[in-house]
Amino acid sequence: MTDALSNPGAVKAAPVTRPRRRRSRTMRRLFPYLLVAPAVIYLLGITLYPGLFAMWQSLYFVRFNNATFVGLENYADLMRDREFWQALWNTLVIGTISLTVQTVLALTLAYHAYRDPWVKGWRILFLMPMLFMPSAVAYLWQLAFNDGRVISDILMRAGVVDATIPFLSSVWLARLTLIVTDVWQWTPFLFIIFVAGLQSQDAEVEEAARLDGASWFQIFWNVSLPLLRPVIAVAVVLRGIDISTMFASVTIMTAGTPGGMTETISYFIYRTGFRMFNFGYASAASVVMLVLTIVIAQTVVKRAFRSGRA
Amino acid sequence: MAAIELQNVVKRYGAFVGVREFSLAIPDEEFLVLLGPSGCGKTTTMRMIAGLEEPTEGRIVIGGEDMTEVDARDRDVAMVFQGYALYPNMTIYDNIRFPLRMRGVPATDHDRLIRRAADMVELGAYLDRKPGALSGGQRQRAALARAIVRQPQAFLMDEPLSNLDAKLRASMRVQIKHLQRELRATTVYVTHDQIEAMTLADRIVVMNQGAVQQVGTPDEIYADPANTFVAGFIGAPPMNLIDGVADGGTFTAPGVTAPCPATLQGKVVLGIRPEDCVVGGGNLTGSVYGVEPTGDMTYLTVNVGTRQVEVKAARDFRAGLDTPLTIGFDPRRTYFFDGATGQRLRHGS
Ligand SMILES: Nc1ncnc2c1ncn2[C@@H]1O[C@H](COP(=O)(O)OP(=O)(O)OP(=O)(O)O)[C@@H](O)[C@H]1O
Ligand SMILES: [Mg+2]
Repeated sequence: MTDALSNPGAVKAAPVTRPRRRRSRTMRRLFPYLLVAPAVIYLLGITLYPGLFAMWQSLYFVRFNNATFVGLENYADLMRDREFWQALWNTLVIGTISLTVQTVLALTLAYHAYRDPWVKGWRILFLMPMLFMPSAVAYLWQLAFNDGRVISDILMRAGVVDATIPFLSSVWLARLTLIVTDVWQWTPFLFIIFVAGLQSQDAEVEEAARLDGASWFQIFWNVSLPLLRPVIAVAVVLRGIDISTMFASVTIMTAGTPGGMTETISYFIYRTGFRMFNFGYASAASVVMLVLTIVIAQTVVKRAFRSGRA
Repeated sequence: MAAIELQNVVKRYGAFVGVREFSLAIPDEEFLVLLGPSGCGKTTTMRMIAGLEEPTEGRIVIGGEDMTEVDARDRDVAMVFQGYALYPNMTIYDNIRFPLRMRGVPATDHDRLIRRAADMVELGAYLDRKPGALSGGQRQRAALARAIVRQPQAFLMDEPLSNLDAKLRASMRVQIKHLQRELRATTVYVTHDQIEAMTLADRIVVMNQGAVQQVGTPDEIYADPANTFVAGFIGAPPMNLIDGVADGGTFTAPGVTAPCPATLQGKVVLGIRPEDCVVGGGNLTGSVYGVEPTGDMTYLTVNVGTRQVEVKAARDFRAGLDTPLTIGFDPRRTYFFDGATGQRLRHGS
């Protein structure tokens, strides 16, 4: 913030506050902009600047402090990179399954709970898993799945399996650990949003449906759920964007094993950038991911809202 | 169709009593109107019959079966909600269809039934729209159509015409009455509009502050009010109620003298309907406060003592403000009420 305050705009604004001096016409017009300038500059500084920098850098071959312009070569390489496509695919698979599971789970829970006065009063409790740091959650599940073998142990005692499960050596088991971790941490977030959405719906409409002979599930399916659509769309897009950047659990739990089959795009970018120091290449991957995310999110939100309207 | 019976039904919200000691038998096929001012408990009573609200005390019997603990869904009543309660995500067509689908009416009958119901409320042209794209009156008619599309045990209608313009309201009133006769449907109808109550009802229940004031046919309610509340609520304008003293067969109040039954003594309230008053005669003395010609008659407001009296005068009656005049009435048309309790005093009349 100190940076933003000492910018030329803010300095110019100072005389305006002096008493008994009429502000000039231009000043009066600019004044509101000057007031919000520090915040805007600050925000642009932490979001727009890195974005633009990544775009610029994606056109260069960067080694520490010397950059050679290579045009679109990074992008061309990326399109031919099997590891990149694999990471993209992994992100898509893990993300889609995880998002579907947590959405369905959260909806099911919300459907059963939203009329309950206890849930109304204590919904904040359900936010607990969300409040943990993602890396802490990742360590927790790392302990449960691998290091501590808690899950294997429980399953063995229950007689479901008879040896420790090698979660890291099978593609789908490794992916499963990432999915479980994400679902555990983020289902409550969706649950809270859905419960709030359902509770804000007109109770009289439900009563009308009840008198029309609908069961609770029929009411939910025919009335509540369609009305919840825009809420679901926004929640799923937010969550989807977040999942597409899945990183902490990958680093801590699988590091991409086995054979890169759990490597997400974020982990791929991190690996090329900070392990192989190929910054231009990593930037190009980020830009591709950014464009993809924007396009997908836009489409989903637009569709949900268009068909939700009368 | 079925008879409905309320037995000592009470609804309390904490310490507040929404409905007190409501007992009433509604015979099969009756058109019953709940009439009363805003907040008197009409909607609450109706919601208890529907099963949307559980009575604090008492039983509700529909078709001879105790339904007090039965879920709203299984009572098989259709309701028009005061706030419409249409399904915003469905077209009007699908809204009207919903009860048919949920109650398992064969799909081949749907279209015919839906169109018949929609035509009845003159909504045929709007079937493709969603509720959000309709006016208040159109939504209300859609809610009505959704209720009448099937043949339930009873119809519950909570002010179903409150948002229509005068002309449509009059025609819908006739239609509802006709429909109710045709379907032979037990109907409980809530309104605070007494014209609606008088024209539609087989019987009217007048309510105030959660308590039943009087139950009777429209004629009984009009001609034989049980207390000052009913007397002052029915009629447009309602009955004039004048506080005074009865002594030896004469009622007196500032500017008023009238004969009364000799048995009356002490503080009483005299009631006289505006339509039973005539200009001239010697019961009231006062001066003109307002003259409102409506075409077919003239509403005349007269200052009498410290209060005002409404008179329905001849259509060509005109008078300047503050003109002194006298008002007379037929003593057989007067009503007397207890000055303290407001209850009707019938002895001697
Ligand atoms: N859930 C509730 N909690 C507390 N009081 C309530 C509740 N529901 C209704 N009431 C009260 O009960 C009384 C009767 O309400 P009701 O809705 O039956 O009135 P109404 O006769 O239908 O009035 P209107 O003509 O304005 O619709 C009102 O005074 C209202 O404030
Ligand atoms: Mg009401």
